[in-house]
Amino acid sequence: MPRITFVEADGRTTEADGVVGQSVMAVAVASGIEAILAECGGACACGTCHCHVDAAWIDRLSPPSETEAAMIECVVDPRQESRLTCQIRLTDALDGLVLHVPATQY
Amino acid sequence: MPAQAAPFRFDPLSAEFAADPYAVYARMRALDGLFPFPELGMLLVTRQRDVAAIVADIRLPRMPAGILDADELERRQRQDNFHDMPNHARFVQFSMLNSDGAVHDRLRRQVFRMFTPALIAGQRAAIEAYVSRLISDLAGAGEVDFVADLAVHVPGHVIGHLLGVPDADCPMLRRWSESIVQYFDVDRSAERKALAEATAAEFADYLRALKADRLRVPKDDLVTRLVEAERAGEMSEDEFISTAMLILMAGHGSTIDVLGSGMHALLRFPEEMERLRADPALMPTAVQEMFRFESPLPFFDRYAAEEVEVGGTLYPRGTRFGLLYGAANRDGEQFADPDRFDVGRTPNRHLAFGGGAHFCLGNHLARLDMDIIFSTLFRTFRRIELVEAPLYKRSLSVRGPMALKLRLEAA
Repeated sequence: MPRITFVEADGRTTEADGVVGQSVMAVAVASGIEAILAECGGACACGTCHCHVDAAWIDRLSPPSETEAAMIECVVDPRQESRLTCQIRLTDALDGLVLHVPATQY
Repeated sequence: MPAQAAPFRFDPLSAEFAADPYAVYARMRALDGLFPFPELGMLLVTRQRDVAAIVADIRLPRMPAGILDADELERRQRQDNFHDMPNHARFVQFSMLNSDGAVHDRLRRQVFRMFTPALIAGQRAAIEAYVSRLISDLAGAGEVDFVADLAVHVPGHVIGHLLGVPDADCPMLRRWSESIVQYFDVDRSAERKALAEATAAEFADYLRALKADRLRVPKDDLVTRLVEAERAGEMSEDEFISTAMLILMAGHGSTIDVLGSGMHALLRFPEEMERLRADPALMPTAVQEMFRFESPLPFFDRYAAEEVEVGGTLYPRGTRFGLLYGAANRDGEQFADPDRFDVGRTPNRHLAFGGGAHFCLGNHLARLDMDIIFSTLFRTFRRIELVEAPLYKRSLSVRGPMALKLRLEAA
C-alpha cells in the first residue's frame, strides 16, 4: 500500500494510504483534502486537482500526457513540478510520494 | 431494455413533478435497484455515488455508436424521434457533447483555453458594466419578473460576446437556442421537431456567414479561433458550425434557469440570503449551492460499451442509463441535510456540471455571471421579496422557474 503525504497550503500534513492502480486524486478526496476539488471526477477535463510534486519526487513520475500538459498551462501557479493528481496512478514505486496542495484551484 | 415494470408511475411532464421533483427523486433513491423508464429505453440512476461513478467511467460513453449495431441504432434514432431531420443531425445531434474519445477530445482541445478560470475572470469588468446597466433599469420598477426582465438578458449576451456575435443578434440566438434545446426534452412532438430542424438550418446559415466575415477580417474572438482551427485542418466546417452552436446553446438556457431557481432559493431561505448579504465572501459557495440545490440540467444519459456494474448489479453492454443529477445532488449519503439550502456548504461535490470528459466547459463563465448578478442586486436593493410562488417548467431535462415575480426596494 503506497503511502502519500499531502502538504496543504496552511502547512497541514496528511498521510494517506492508497491502493496500487488508484489515482492520487482519489486518495486525496477519500482523505478529506478539500482543496483537491477534482470537479470532473478524474478525466483530465477541469484542472481542479492540481498539485506541486515535491522536488525529490518529480523525476520519478512519468511525464504528463499532451492533454494534461495543456490543462496544466491553465491552472493557477503552474510550475515545472505541476501535475494533475487524477493523472498519477499509484505504483509501489511511489510509496512515500510527497505532494504540495495549492491554496486554491482557481 | 429490461422488461421489468416501474415500481411507481413516473410522469416527468406532470405539474406535480414540476412543483417538487425532489420528493419523486427521494422515492427513486430509496429503491433497491435502478428505476426503469421504458419511454426512453433507459434505467434511471439517482444515487450520487452511482452517478459520479458512471460519468467518470470511460466504459460508459455518451453515444451508442460502436456499441449497438446499425439496425438497433436506426431503431433508437426513430424511438428518440431524431430521424428525418438532416440539419439537426449534422449540427446538433453531432457535437462535442454528443461525441466520445478522440473526436470529442480533438474538438474540446480547440476551445478549452477560452474557458479557463483566468480567461473567464478577464471578462468580469465587461459583464459587470452590462449587468449594472440592466439592474439600474430595474431600479424604479418596483415589481419585476426576475427571469424575463433580467436573467434572460445576461448569459446569451455574455457567451455571444465571447464567441464574437454582434450584441443585436443575441436575442435571436436565444430564441434559436431555446427552439433547439427544447427538442431534447421528453416531449418530441411533430411541431417541436419541425421547429428544431428549421432552426438548426437557419442557425447553420448564420454561422457560415459569420465565418465568412472572420475569414475577411479576423477578430480576437472564439469564432476567429474556430475558423483558424478549421483552416489548420483541426476541424471540418460541420464541426465548426456544430461547436459554435453548442457553445451558444449549452450554457445559455441553463444559466437563465439556475439564476431563477437560485434567486428563488434565496427567497425560500431568507436567513441564508441575509447571511450572504452580510458576508459577500460566501458568494462562490452560494453559487455552487444554487447549482446543487436546483440543478438546471438535471438529466443526461450514457451507454454501457461493455458489461458494467452499477450499485452492485451487473448490466449488459448496450444498457442506456439516464443520470438524474438533480436526484444525485440531493442524496443524503453525500450531502448533509441535503434539502437545506446552505450558502456556505463546503465541500460541495455536486454533479450539476456533469463529470468525466464532458465536464461543463463553461462552468466558470456561468458562475461568474451569477456572482455578478447577485452581488449587484444586493448592492442595489436593500430588500427583495417574492410576489407570488413561481411555477417551474414541466420537464425532465431542464429545471427552472418560468417566471419569478419580485418586489424590489432600492437601497
